Amino acid sequence: MPRLLGVDIPNDRKTVISLTYLYGVGPKVARELCLKAGVSQDLKAHELSDEDLSNLATILERDYTVEGPLRRQVQQSIARLRDIKCYRGMRHRAGLPVRGQRTKTNARTRKGPRKTVAGKKGVKDLR
Amino acid sequence: MSRSSKKGPYVDPKVFFKVQKLEEAGNKEPIKTWSRACTIVPEFVGHTFMIHNGRMHVKLLVTEDMVGHKLGEFAPTRTFKGHGGRQKK
Repeated sequence: MPRLLGVDIPNDRKTVISLTYLYGVGPKVARELCLKAGVSQDLKAHELSDEDLSNLATILERDYTVEGPLRRQVQQSIARLRDIKCYRGMRHRAGLPVRGQRTKTNARTRKGPRKTVAGKKGVKDLR
Repeated sequence: MSRSSKKGPYVDPKVFFKVQKLEEAGNKEPIKTWSRACTIVPEFVGHTFMIHNGRMHVKLLVTEDMVGHKLGEFAPTRTFKGHGGRQKK
């Protein structure tokens, strides 16, 4: 299987699809990449020549932030919000939704698994 | 929905004039304000604000990182002291 930018090994699906396995590359960027590198979108990833791969890699490095650098960038933005103790930063710290979603119910992605509180209304019914 | 960029950032004129006045006078005494919706512009950096949170005024020294945020983002309106507390007895 071909490797792009070190660790990532997209499988043998269409090039446009397999490129999206990279962090920071979605359908849109994948399509742009194929056009810029002059690679057919319908080619399976394992059919790509070494030349195609190096082309893709150089364009990725040059024009896009992906993988490690992108992760770092995201982390830094969050760290900034935390540091200036603004509302969004505090929500990040508390592990609660940041963009004004309800927290009376749902919000499980941010809050993690339910922590049942004994004696709270509704707990008896669950028994 | 975010504000149209055509209009530019919302900066409370009163707050802005006050900052300018203090800048001219060269002092940095706290500015008491209720204008939580006012965007922090680069001119505010280094000034101290007392931002109303509905009950009292929260003190805030504006740093460069805060530019582009609203004053209200730094004065929480809710106090959450945690749930439960039977164990604490």
